[in-house]
Amino acid sequence: MAYSDKVLDHYNNPRNVGSLDKSSASVGTGMVGAPECGDVMKLQIRVNDENGIIEDAKFKTFGCGSAIASSSLATEWLKGKTVDEALQIKNTDIVNELALPPVKIHCSVLAEDAIKAAISDYRNKQASKVAAPAAQPEAVKEQTVA
Amino acid sequence: MSADYFAFFELPRSLALDLKDLEKRFYKLSRQWHPDLFARKSPAEQEQALEATAVLNDGYRVLRDPIARALYVLKQEGFDVGEQGTKDVPPELLEEVFELNMALEELRMGDTDALPQLAAARTRFEAMRAALDADLGTKFAAWDAVHTPGTLTEIRALLNRRKYITNLIDKASNVPDRI
Repeated sequence: MAYSDKVLDHYNNPRNVGSLDKSSASVGTGMVGAPECGDVMKLQIRVNDENGIIEDAKFKTFGCGSAIASSSLATEWLKGKTVDEALQIKNTDIVNELALPPVKIHCSVLAEDAIKAAISDYRNKQASKVAAPAAQPEAVKEQTVA
Repeated sequence: MSADYFAFFELPRSLALDLKDLEKRFYKLSRQWHPDLFARKSPAEQEQALEATAVLNDGYRVLRDPIARALYVLKQEGFDVGEQGTKDVPPELLEEVFELNMALEELRMGDTDALPQLAAARTRFEAMRAALDADLGTKFAAWDAVHTPGTLTEIRALLNRRKYITNLIDKASNVPDRI
């Protein structure tokens, strides 16, 4: 099975590889995986708290070319979108854009799950920020580990 | 090809099998369906013997491996055991997978500081797999006693986890040559 040119392009020149400050209240982190192939995908967004627009998106994926391309494309699409718009991204959009074959559709599903997980993490943080502005136990733990 | 392997081996459908007994049955059936015995029989009977031998070999391969056997039963019971769409993975395991992959990547780039971390990870994952196998053994016995679908769902989750951990052990074992 051959990869499409778009998959190869994202695989060879992945966009937005890296990480954002996980402890920041403006950052949402989504970590998802597929046990069958052993893939793991981390996708992060940084949201402008005032207008709800995703200012930055980063990813790091350990997996096949299609999984890397799917998450790379997802970060490209996320930037500049509002959180609500980002939730409209469907795995089928990714399948179409990258011309993924049927056996690789689960990679696009993984990317969609990662987007949703990141947004849900961001929203949870925002909700708890309102509830308890001072409490940041997660951030403290991060620092001691690192 | 809908032959039931358990029925073919004249065994009750069970997840825990006595491998010695299974082997005996395999040899007995091998003799029974050996092509030499059918050399002078009709083409239809020869064909039947050939099919039986195929079922015998496939069935033995599946039934003697506890994991393959469990997946076979899950499939029979209507569980989706294909390549796609299973993501029943605990978040803390994902974190570990991610960290291990990061360590591996550092190693590949020549940072030998990650070596002890990798060895420790491998030991940890091997212990996790051993604990999982003990869990699976308990669940297998539970399902064999009473065929409850809920037990199979639990087994499905354990097998997912096991697959992930096995991948990790493979990854942690395959340290790049040039280091």
